[in-house]
Order: sequence, then structure tokens, then C-alpha cells
Amino acid sequence: MRAARSRLEIAAQNLANASTDGFRKSLADVSLTTRGLVVRRTPSDDQGALRHTGRPLDLAIVGEGAFVVGGQPTRNGAFVRDPHGFLADDRGARVQGVHGFVRVAPDGTLLDRIPMPYRSRIVHGMLESPNVNAVSEMVGVLDAQRAFETAQKALAAIDETRAKAVNELARLR
Amino acid sequence: MNRALVVAASGMAAQQMHLDVVADNLANADVAGFKEAAAAFTDVRAPGGAGLGVMPSGTHPVFEQGKLEKSGGPFDVAIQGAGFFIVTNGSQTAYTRNGEFHRSPSGALETNDGWRVPGVRIPSDATSVSVQPDGRVHCERGRGERSDCGRIVLSTFPAPEALDPIGDARFAATRRSGAPVRLLPGAEHGTTIAFGMLERSNVSIIGSMMEILAAQRAYEANAKGVQAADEMQRIEVC
Repeated sequence: MRAARSRLEIAAQNLANASTDGFRKSLADVSLTTRGLVVRRTPSDDQGALRHTGRPLDLAIVGEGAFVVGGQPTRNGAFVRDPHGFLADDRGARVQGVHGFVRVAPDGTLLDRIPMPYRSRIVHGMLESPNVNAVSEMVGVLDAQRAFETAQKALAAIDETRAKAVNELARLR
Repeated sequence: MNRALVVAASGMAAQQMHLDVVADNLANADVAGFKEAAAAFTDVRAPGGAGLGVMPSGTHPVFEQGKLEKSGGPFDVAIQGAGFFIVTNGSQTAYTRNGEFHRSPSGALETNDGWRVPGVRIPSDATSVSVQPDGRVHCERGRGERSDCGRIVLSTFPAPEALDPIGDARFAATRRSGAPVRLLPGAEHGTTIAFGMLERSNVSIIGSMMEILAAQRAYEANAKGVQAADEMQRIEVC
């Protein structure tokens, strides 16, 4: 039952972020151990679809890697030029470049390179949509719900067997 | 506390807000100079990485150029490129891409609701007015006599995305947008003024419809999540 609950929580988090740009869904890894079913959350590396936004400072990464914004890695490249000429996210956190924070020229040209792994590419004017598929997450929700009910039935059956063992076996003697 | 329930409910709230923004864009698809807004969201996580749902991180105007369309108004102008018209109602200054102007009784160039464009004065005996790509306003008075009636000057901002939409396709400067910077059309950033044209809104009807469909489905899926979490809670309680 605890495993089903964890699976529901993961699916719900994925669904809740079906419109969060740059969001990467979590996968529920269920494994059978001596302590019962254990659910581990692992981030998915699937590329999200790129969506044209019309804002030249929106950046999307094709391939691996992440922007470092305010010291945190993120795949969300919805950036603006802040009043001091730096590339920043909507909360004002600046984007790390090769030589300190990235500056932007008034015409929207980036004046520094953003470090990216080899073979990854940054596209301008696009954002990466979340790699969440609402339908498959919904299936995950229903699946978790049914698994929960099944586990609950099993629990009730075990409980009943024990009750029988205690009450009826005792009566046989 | 049932975490799945809270997470799914935050997803429903986010999609509701997403729909609000798209609906507003669609409603204004025919407003000249209107700029569509984009809603942004961010995921919320506990220190261990466990998901806590989604949070709106604000909406921003999208300043993509709208299509220019020939219009009937004798004083209509449109901006091709970056920048905003400066308009003032006496107490407040605002910035707009809507160049649907009229001549006021006092000879000023103003919007439908009386916001004036500074720097232009049209004499009462002017028979025709034309605006040059560099914003200079030429008036013709009787017998082909031409005179200079001022110049339309534009403004840009260090961070235009942080401008505050105040309605009527107008924007107000904010602390985060920075102070307005004068921009002379025809000279800087490749910006020019098109006379006899209006800039249509940059709302894409098809794009908005697609967004509505996606938001609606995501809303439904999140509602299913709420239902499932609730159902589990019921079984647990029983």
C-alpha cells in the first residue's frame, strides 16, 4: 500500500507540472526487496518537445545539460534581460556563463557563451515543453489506485485468516 | 497530510490559471497593438527531491511583432521593429504599440480615450498629414505648402518583459523593466514607422486553441489524480 501511495505521489507531481517549461518527469522504479516493494524516484532524461515562443531570449537545450541559474541547474530557459543588462530568469536570478554571469546586448545578442556539454545545442526563441504525457500519467494514477485497492484487499484477507486462526482453531480443541 | 491530493490540486489550480491567460489572449485577438501574455510555471520540491506540486511563476507579455495591416484612419501609424509609442494623460505616462491615433481639437495627436502623443502639434488649417518612416510628421496646408509638425519619438526598455500591462494595450514602466530609453525611429535598432497601417495583435488563434486543449486535458488528468488520492484516503480511513 505504501508503494502504491508513492507511485500516486510521483504521477501526481508529473501531472501537476504538465505546463511547467523545462520540467522533467520522475519515473517510479518499483523493486521487490526483502522489506517489500520499494519505489525509487528517478528523473527521466527524455527530451521534451521544443515550442516556439517568439521571445528571442527564450532558450532551449537540445541534448543533455542544464542552465545554471542562481547556482541551481535547470532546463527551463525562459529568460529576460534584467535592467542591468544581464540574462536572468523571471525571479531575477542570473544565468552562469563561461566568464561569469551572461550579459545581453540591447538588441538581444548574448555576449557570453553558456557552458554546455559536447554535442548539446542551445536554440533561441524556443522553450522545452515538459516531457510529461498526461495520458500515460493518468494511467499511472489509475494503476496506483487499483494496486492500492488490491493491497488493501490482500491485507483484509490476511487479517481475516488471522482472525480465523485465533478464533476458530482455538474452538476446535 | 495527503501529499498526492495537494500536488494534484496544485496542478488543477495551475491549469485553471493557464486557461485564464489563454482566454484573455483570445478575447483580445482583434485589439490593435495587443501583445499576448504567456503564463509560466515552476515545479516545487521538498529538500529531498520529493515533488510538492507546481506554482505559477508569473505571466509575461510576448513582444513578438504583430502583422501590419492597412487601415482607414488618417492618422494611423504602426511600429515596425522594437519600441513603444509614448502616450500621456496628463498625470501618467504609458507605452503602447497601438498607433490608432486621432486629431484632438487642440491639434494634438491622441488615442481614442484621450491619451496624448507628446511632441506633435497639427495646425488647425492642415488639409493632410503624413508620417515619415523616421517619425517626422508633415502637414500640408492649402496650396501645397508643407510644414514640419513635430516628430513621433519612441521608447524602449532595458527589460521590456517586466513592463506592467495596464489595459487598453498600454504598459507602464516598473522598477524591474528599468527606465524608458529614447528611441528615434529610422535611426536606431532598424525601427521604422509605417503610416496608414495598424499593428494587429500577435495572438495566434490556432496556437491558443491548441493551448486550451492541452490545458483542459491536463486539468482533467489532475482531477483524476485528486479523485484517486481521495479514494485511497477513504479506504485507509475505513
